[in-house]
Amino acid sequence: MARAARPGAPGEWVLLSYRIPREPSTPRITIWRKLKRLGVAQISDGLIALPADARTREHLDWIADEILEAGGSAAIWIARPGMTATERDLATAMAAARAAEYAKVTAEATAAADRDDTARLSLARRLRAELRRIHRRDYFPPAERDQATAAVEALAQPVVEQEEQTS
Amino acid sequence: MKWATRAAIHIDRAACAWLIRRHVDPDAEFVFVTDPAQVPADATPFDMRGVELGHHQGECSFETILRHYDLDDPVLWRIAQIIHEADLDDERYDAPEAPGLDVTLRGLSMICTDEQTLHHTGPIFDGLALSEIRAR
Repeated sequence: MARAARPGAPGEWVLLSYRIPREPSTPRITIWRKLKRLGVAQISDGLIALPADARTREHLDWIADEILEAGGSAAIWIARPGMTATERDLATAMAAARAAEYAKVTAEATAAADRDDTARLSLARRLRAELRRIHRRDYFPPAERDQATAAVEALAQPVVEQEEQTS
Repeated sequence: MKWATRAAIHIDRAACAWLIRRHVDPDAEFVFVTDPAQVPADATPFDMRGVELGHHQGECSFETILRHYDLDDPVLWRIAQIIHEADLDDERYDAPEAPGLDVTLRGLSMICTDEQTLHHTGPIFDGLALSEIRAR
């Protein structure tokens, strides 16, 4: 993602500052799930961030409206971290969260290596969908991403073909 | 009538403009703004924060416009599911067409002005509607 105005300088982030009434809890939970799905970084209580681009800005805009509709308060800010280290910490935490998700996919794919072709292909389909979901919230791809992709694609290959490749 | 929406249009706004022109106002004229404060007084805003024809209760603006104008054609509601998934991607509906449509619109927005994007997406949505009719 080409984000920084100049190399090494912090890029733009879109921030959402918000407060949602504790009750009723349903809109609160719905909104929290949406934020989680987007892979936001939690800066502090009621303040989350995503690297700014047209898509992240739009998603957070609509979530802000949804919070207002639920009787809460919300505002969208475009901001630049004051120090490179602040951005690096955010990016590291976000990459670590995605790395854990990719590792889970890799483990699941690897554990099924001995199953028959049909079972492996069916698992590969499910894990490909899971990988797509993770990709969408992966703003700072960790090395685990390639490993997970390779593990899932290996699962989709018939066993015989794999043996030919390794011999 | 004049209609206003946010500039740098993507899937929901392009689909809404098509829907408005085909089913609400054949003479629709579209204005693109970068801030809600720039919406002309005589224009109806859509797919913008805080307006009636926007996202509500987890639905995208295309769905809101269908409800608002009592458009109950099942073909339009099927297209609404595709637009919903391409825009919100929340897996509420099964719409395998959505990722393809999303990337098509993203690509168009990289090389076209908003007016050009509307020009190109008109036949895309007309074709989508026809293929949905034929699939029935």
